[in-house]
Amino acid sequence: MLLADASVSSLGNTLAILLGIACLLPLCGFLIEIFAGYWSDRLSKTPALMAVGCIGGGFACSLLALILWGNATCWTALKADEHGAAHHSVRDDSAETQLALADEELHADEHSSAGADDHHAFHPEVEHHVASEEGHDDHAAEGLVPAHAVFSGTIYRLAKFGNLDITVDYYIDSLTLVMFVMVTFIATCIHIFAIGYMSEELTHEYVDHAVHMSDGHHLHRPGRFYRFFAYMSLFCFSMLGLVYSGSIFLVFVFWELVGICSYLLIGFYVERKSANVAANKAFIMNRVGDFGFLIGLMILWTSFGTFRFAEEIDDHGQAHAGLFHMVRGDKGLMRVSSETGDVVMWGEHEETLLDENDQPRTIPYYLLVIAGLGIFAGCVGKSAQFPLQTWLPDAMEGPTPVSALVHSATMVAAGVYLAGRFFPMFTTDVLLVIAYTGCITLFVAATIAIVATDIKRVLAYSTISQLGYMMLAIGVGGWGAGLFHLITHAFFKSLMFLASGSVIFGCHHEQEMPKMGGLWRKMPITALTMLVGVIAIAGLAIPVTIMGARIAFSGYHSKDAIVATALAFTEANSMHFLLFLTPLVTAGITAFYMFRLWFYTFAGDPRDKHVYDHAHETPKVMTIPLLVLSLFAAGCAIGGEEGVLYRLLSNSEPVGVAAGRMSGAGGISLPSHEAIHLVHAQAGTWALIVAVLGAFLAYVFYGARWVNPTEVGQSFPRLYRFLVEKWQFDALYDAMFVRPVRIIAGWFVVFDRVVLDGFLHAAASSVVHISKWDRRFDESIIDGFVNLMASVTFGIGRSFKKVQTGMLRQYITFIALGVLALFVLMLSFFPN
Amino acid sequence: MTFEVLLNQVIGETLTVSICRFGPELIVSATILVLLLNRLFGIDRWVAPYWTTLIGCMIALGYATNQYLLLQQGTLPAGEYFTGLMMFDGFTVFLRIFLLLFLILVTVLTVLSGIPDLEDGPDFYTLLLGSTIGMMIMSGANHLLMLFIGIEMTSVPSYAMVGFLKGRRQSSEAALKYVVYGAGAAGVMLYGISLIAGMLGTGDMPLIAERIGQLTGTASNFESPLVRTLMLAIVMVFVGLSFKLSLVPFHFWCPDAFEGASAEVAGYLSVASKAAAFGLLIRFCLALTGTIEGAASSPIYLFLGLAIGFVAMVTATFGNLAAYAQTNVKRLLAYSTIAHAGYMLMAVAAMMVLLNAPSGAGLTSFERQELAAKSIEGLLFYLVVYLFMNLGAFAIVALIRNEIYSEEISDYKGLARQTPVLCVCMVICLVSLIGIPPMAGFFGKLFVFASVFQSAKVHWAMWVVFLVGAINTVFSLYYYLQVLKTMFLDERPEGARTIDIPLNPSGWYVIFVTAPLLLLILCTEQLTQTARTVAAGLFL
Repeated sequence: MLLADASVSSLGNTLAILLGIACLLPLCGFLIEIFAGYWSDRLSKTPALMAVGCIGGGFACSLLALILWGNATCWTALKADEHGAAHHSVRDDSAETQLALADEELHADEHSSAGADDHHAFHPEVEHHVASEEGHDDHAAEGLVPAHAVFSGTIYRLAKFGNLDITVDYYIDSLTLVMFVMVTFIATCIHIFAIGYMSEELTHEYVDHAVHMSDGHHLHRPGRFYRFFAYMSLFCFSMLGLVYSGSIFLVFVFWELVGICSYLLIGFYVERKSANVAANKAFIMNRVGDFGFLIGLMILWTSFGTFRFAEEIDDHGQAHAGLFHMVRGDKGLMRVSSETGDVVMWGEHEETLLDENDQPRTIPYYLLVIAGLGIFAGCVGKSAQFPLQTWLPDAMEGPTPVSALVHSATMVAAGVYLAGRFFPMFTTDVLLVIAYTGCITLFVAATIAIVATDIKRVLAYSTISQLGYMMLAIGVGGWGAGLFHLITHAFFKSLMFLASGSVIFGCHHEQEMPKMGGLWRKMPITALTMLVGVIAIAGLAIPVTIMGARIAFSGYHSKDAIVATALAFTEANSMHFLLFLTPLVTAGITAFYMFRLWFYTFAGDPRDKHVYDHAHETPKVMTIPLLVLSLFAAGCAIGGEEGVLYRLLSNSEPVGVAAGRMSGAGGISLPSHEAIHLVHAQAGTWALIVAVLGAFLAYVFYGARWVNPTEVGQSFPRLYRFLVEKWQFDALYDAMFVRPVRIIAGWFVVFDRVVLDGFLHAAASSVVHISKWDRRFDESIIDGFVNLMASVTFGIGRSFKKVQTGMLRQYITFIALGVLALFVLMLSFFPN
Repeated sequence: MTFEVLLNQVIGETLTVSICRFGPELIVSATILVLLLNRLFGIDRWVAPYWTTLIGCMIALGYATNQYLLLQQGTLPAGEYFTGLMMFDGFTVFLRIFLLLFLILVTVLTVLSGIPDLEDGPDFYTLLLGSTIGMMIMSGANHLLMLFIGIEMTSVPSYAMVGFLKGRRQSSEAALKYVVYGAGAAGVMLYGISLIAGMLGTGDMPLIAERIGQLTGTASNFESPLVRTLMLAIVMVFVGLSFKLSLVPFHFWCPDAFEGASAEVAGYLSVASKAAAFGLLIRFCLALTGTIEGAASSPIYLFLGLAIGFVAMVTATFGNLAAYAQTNVKRLLAYSTIAHAGYMLMAVAAMMVLLNAPSGAGLTSFERQELAAKSIEGLLFYLVVYLFMNLGAFAIVALIRNEIYSEEISDYKGLARQTPVLCVCMVICLVSLIGIPPMAGFFGKLFVFASVFQSAKVHWAMWVVFLVGAINTVFSLYYYLQVLKTMFLDERPEGARTIDIPLNPSGWYVIFVTAPLLLLILCTEQLTQTARTVAAGLFL
């Protein structure tokens, strides 16, 4: 036991230090790069190399951390027997659990099941400073660290206000490690790519063709190469910090940092009005979500009194349960008192947490729901979910590497990540909301993507749609599936964004697909890598099973997992059948619009001779990242749910997810892993069929051009317009919020001018009159008095100067006089 | 006990205990010897005298710091040494560290500002080190004899340093005034000392309180001629100390000496000799009251405290008001020094009043000691802050003098545009001298006024002191801001000498000295903690 503890503790410290370095390196980079204007000139690539070095160093640290973690756990995380088997032996001892909990009042929706699962064997949130409890012994004997172990701790205390303890905490589990490796790896590729893409900024005189000055010329400005990389570094720091954080408060801090970085990067071309507006839009939309986030934070703080995810050891060596533990306990069960309907909190040792009056500490169920919805509102904003999705397509105004980094792989992933991280705090009702939000989003975005013609916008909508998939997966209880898709999507989407960047760069900043076509001849590497991405996202696979797995790119596996979860969910809750149908259909749409993009851009004959003639393959600094990323986009999910990536992730799965949640009449139940496994093959087949259909349709329209898509569009003019207008969301928000605000603002202006200003003017003129009188009073009496005082003090001062005659004889006399005077004074004043 | 036994005992004690406790002073003395020998053999051509000085001071500082740490651990116990002539405790060591640190800073300043030149270096540093030894002796004096020797050892080199700018009439005149005035004050003090020693039959400070008690018996008012004579003697000793502290009405030498001396010397005198003199004053006051374990406090000393408060009040007011009409920066700073001595003296007054609070005030003897220790703590904090702000101001004056050859305020017009670094640092120093919050000077004033406020609960008269002190802060605004206004708002007249001090070592030095005024906020706790332990050590 001791051995295990010591190794857990030292491993935890090592991981915390390594990941901390990985997180801080980009910050150091930022601090140096942002001043590059002082220590370097605008033609130097040093800032870029520095940024690449920092994030690359971060990647090395993260990878090292992952390997150390793997070694310490002897890679048990990857061993098939334990987990594969566990999924099938879930409910055996649920009855026993129920017995054990019979004296507790359980809420209806938790009531009938929620049993112990394989995780039961371990204390799920072993802190590295907590002696791990029963059931550990098999690992402890080998001196191993359990793969589920959570390493958490406090690095620094920022402030303490009463009970509110604001600290810098870390929380490291396999999800954190995977996220770190993924983010740093993709960011490194993107940084390298950006060296090529942003090279036009390496000048003293950058001509921005998108900005027209009033004199008819284009804007000339100094290049901002270093600034771009400084922002990128800051962004990486914020994102890594967000993943590293061990308390919801710290997450919020980094959350806002991510927000401000995206603002800076989207608005990188500040002189362009569109970029300006897009940056504002992104920022404001995110604030709407953050408002919910703040409400959630307040509720959490007032109800739980802590922001920490995991346990904390206070100065007296006493452990205090973290948020997750308070709600879910050891076994992933939420206890709801049947009398009051309040959620009863768990204590550190599976006892009921008591407050000062020795009453059980509770939180009203509805408050927990609101808190969950609030936090999720933040996720909605950041992950561009319905109804806050409109900012993401506009955000494509930023340079393409920004789109790749910020708006496909990382920032928008933050929302999904948080939804996953915060999963234990979500009640079933909140999860249903999440599922439907994701469902609506994925469908809406996919339909818009069909008609979009800007290559980056298609990708943007596909991003929104894919994020919808992830949210849906989390909502229907497919925790692993959602985060699995998050990782795979990050790889293939960043690949596609970079490939589109390569196209845009090669075509001299032409982004409209109708002007492209046939580009594969000019840029074969880009075309090939893009094709890898397209196949991956579309979820195509060859329906042959080799060694128990299908031959498919990463997207197939993860989307498969989501669809399967959705199917299992629908089977358990038949009234929510849309949650399965929509993603299934959308899988086809996804395949359609993604292949449309590829055919449009690369296949067939060139549509615009001018663009085609000037197009060229991009330099190596851009193509090599593409090739590297395409390898990962294709292969990172090899093995599907039996593969490395999924297994790694599933170690962080919150307790109780594997068993699902069963409910009585009327409630929602979440499928167990077993249930999902049963329908997996079926769902996978359907998804594949739909995807192939979609891809085939795209070939019909855009590859072979048997049918002219324009004519199809014209035969449904209204639908077409509706889609081109992005479901009229912008118009709707314009009508709902912007215009009313403007109108009301107009009224305020009038009110201001007439009433307030009138009053102010009247007040002002009366004040002027009064002050005229006052002035006379002031000047004659007050000033007279003050001046008198001043001249008196000044006069005294001046007279003091006279004492200082400079005559030595006089000085000496003063000594004698002084002694005498002091003595006489004392004698005369001494009270007898 | 034969003479031989006695002698052996003395030698034994000296060799084992005293030498070790007297270490920092000895190291500084050795440095002086090395300086002189270097001069004799011409080594100072290769090794600049300031290196010798700096290294000597560093070693002494390291030794003193070590002493402090050992003292904290308890390995080196506090106690008397040199047969009771000197006292070794936290207070002594704290002031030693303070003085040596300050000495190092001043030496660096003299190197940067070029006074003295290489030729005069050994002489100057010998004087500087010599007077510092005197100050260290002052801070550890445990006998009236040492009190006098310490003051004189400090004064004599100071006289020479003030007149060090050879060939300048003003400088020589200032030195002469300083010498004669100092001699007068010393004479009065010596008379006082002889009165006390004669009446009490001892000069040993820890014995004074007891002997006074025996002598006066129950007589505790001025009816008794004994008390009256004793009071006269005490006043006379105070005169000597007042001369060092430049308290009104014994301040006359101060503006003249500061104006005549170079800014470096003036800065040195304004901080170091004040600190040492305050240390001595506190020791003397505590010697009078003695350790008051459970004993009823004497109304005589309460009254003495009030008298000190009165002098403090007058001094602060006089210093501030007289500064109004000054046109020379050094003279202005001299009056500011006088005013600050007044503020700090208020803490001593508060200490005396609190320590001798009548039993009606509802304070136990333990609480009285605690509150008195708090006053000393505030004073020590003030001294540390004062070191940085006053040294900073004088250093800036010296550096500007090197460029524009003037110390008149009117020649400072518009300097801010030419040397923003110095001027911004000047703002920080002066604002800190005024005592405006973010600067450390505010906290110093706060602590001192807090103890005055405490003492006001004991005797109403301290309310007056408190109020006058507060009003004085307002008075002081005018002349400090006048300087800043000249520097920042006025235009530099055509044809005036230009000044160019970029971020060279001088600039960094000023920043280094000024930065603590802003940074002390961050570690106020640590400093007060140290001051608290040191002050509490006095009452053990």
